[in-house]
Amino acid sequence: MRFLTLAIILSLVFLISCRRTQVPTAEVNVAQVKEITLDPNAAVWDDVSLHISKMILQDLVEPRLMEPSTPEVQVKAITNGTEIAFRLEWIDETQNDLPGPKTFIDGCAVQLPAKVETNVPAPQMGEVGKTVEISYWRADWQAIVEGRTDSITSIYPNASIDHYPSEAKPLEKDPQAQGETALRYAPARALGNRRSGPRDQPVEDLIAEGPSTLSSAPNAVSKGKGVKTAKGWAVVISRPVPSGFSASTPSQIAFAVWEGSHTEVGARKMRTGWVILMMK
Amino acid sequence: MARVNNWQLGREMSYWYPESRPQKQFAAVFDTNKCIACQTCTLACKTTWTSGKGQEYMLWNNVETKPYGFYPLAWDLNLLEMLDGQQWSEKDGKHVYDGSTIFESAPAGERVLGWRPASEDYAYPNVGEDDCAGGVDGGASMEVPHQMAWFYYLARICNHCTYPACLASCPRGSIYKRPEDGIVLVDQGRCRGYQECVRGCPYKKVFFNPMTSTSEKCIACYPKIEDGLQPQCFANCIGKIRMAGFLNTPEKAQADNPLDYLVHIKKVALPLFPQFGLEPNVYYIPPIHVPTAFTKQMFGPGVDKAVEVYRNAPNDADLTSLLGLFGSTESIMRKWKRNGDLVMGMDENGKELVRVPFREPVHIRPAYDKLYQITRTNCP
Repeated sequence: MRFLTLAIILSLVFLISCRRTQVPTAEVNVAQVKEITLDPNAAVWDDVSLHISKMILQDLVEPRLMEPSTPEVQVKAITNGTEIAFRLEWIDETQNDLPGPKTFIDGCAVQLPAKVETNVPAPQMGEVGKTVEISYWRADWQAIVEGRTDSITSIYPNASIDHYPSEAKPLEKDPQAQGETALRYAPARALGNRRSGPRDQPVEDLIAEGPSTLSSAPNAVSKGKGVKTAKGWAVVISRPVPSGFSASTPSQIAFAVWEGSHTEVGARKMRTGWVILMMK
Repeated sequence: MARVNNWQLGREMSYWYPESRPQKQFAAVFDTNKCIACQTCTLACKTTWTSGKGQEYMLWNNVETKPYGFYPLAWDLNLLEMLDGQQWSEKDGKHVYDGSTIFESAPAGERVLGWRPASEDYAYPNVGEDDCAGGVDGGASMEVPHQMAWFYYLARICNHCTYPACLASCPRGSIYKRPEDGIVLVDQGRCRGYQECVRGCPYKKVFFNPMTSTSEKCIACYPKIEDGLQPQCFANCIGKIRMAGFLNTPEKAQADNPLDYLVHIKKVALPLFPQFGLEPNVYYIPPIHVPTAFTKQMFGPGVDKAVEVYRNAPNDADLTSLLGLFGSTESIMRKWKRNGDLVMGMDENGKELVRVPFREPVHIRPAYDKLYQITRTNCP
């Protein structure tokens, strides 16, 4: 009996060590699954092949990132035929999910060409006439989705506020008037800037045709979830399978990571070039 | 970078975009000698524009005591230290800036030389209030001449610069300068809150809103400007230190334009830190009691002349009368005219908006009232 127990334990250790020494692939291989999961800790990821992308500085357009931070991102991908999900994991010792002056947010993004074609757009956010689609996850949006309230005290717990016009006594029983008054002092929300409002997804859909051209995608189709791990972040981003992408027609994908504590925001980021995306 | 003309520097300089001046430029003159730091301007702005969530700490308008007042903390000292001492020279009576602007000093990878204030830098909006530049010994205030312990109040809004560093810093082109009036705005529909503008603006007059994750700034009350009215912080100034209007470039200065007269003709109002290179459009009549070593750093080499002109105002009916128009009406005065002891402010078509006497009548009352046979004592 003792020998059997020992054998089982040794077998488990062997299996686990085999997983840990998974050989990375040069391309991102998309595994077929029955159901897409947004959970970075779901067991389905264990059997998916691993790709490790080396990251490079965004040092082509100002403002540039001059000192490297995140060295690499580990990527896995699954699809159920209609949705495709990417699991990104990288090392980041600090958790930066509180916005504020001189504080920046951890985040990551996946970028795909809008059209699957041989002549791919420039990997630095596409080029004129060659649009790229970007799904962008942020740690502060994750916190909001998980229940952080739309209040300044959720960012500065000791903040003391005398008065907001939207919370004036005469408006107490009129939520519509309260909302309208609040919008007067939140012009970005009043204009429908998706960047600025309360969120139901921690991922934003964007399109670009080169640096400085980033704008909201016509439709919000991406979903996601990120969790802080012992060493960094593990994030799943899902979106519809790109039109034209199939087992016989590979596409390309690129990644970006922002390390908030390293003052990374916008163009100041670590990025990759295009990586081949293969349907298995 | 493009080469553009910055008349405040007396030379061309490098800027991120080519020179493109608006049809007319919103501008203002603040008389620091009249400000009492009552903060009515600050509150007028605050209640009008920044009473929402995420705007709690924002003061698009603030008044700070110089030399030890800052909002945010050390906003000017930090950049002056980064620029590390620069020089002006004088040729044929014209001042030329020989140093580097924040555009010309931009480090590799950056669009401008800048820095980022942190939350704690905004935590003391009235730090240094009424603090003197030097110690005042007990009883010294009763002695004449006074010890050289000075301070003054500096009211600040966005300078709606001709060459805005916020605009140059934004990699998305989310900041624009209106061609019709030169007002600089953040497009709230496009901003993504990178805070590059906060870093780039040397005056630190762009603020990050942590609730909307976008950056916001003074809009010069443009809905009022469009109606021919002065902004809230001007209309509510009880010290009547401010005048808003439109400023021409020096070669196109019009004597009947009140701002042109003060800035270009009398040269009594000066830009704030012209050496930064933004051609800011809020002009200050410098404090006349402050050592010029300090004010020259802040307002440029024209300080001596400006102080001389201001001190001579009692003998200069035109200047005195124009200063009397400050705070006399909420309307923007595009033109002005003195007629005897009266001064008139007019709109761009010459239609009179306001008419005020600029010298109050003086009545000298004898100490002894013969009619009632009593002696009256005037209280100080």
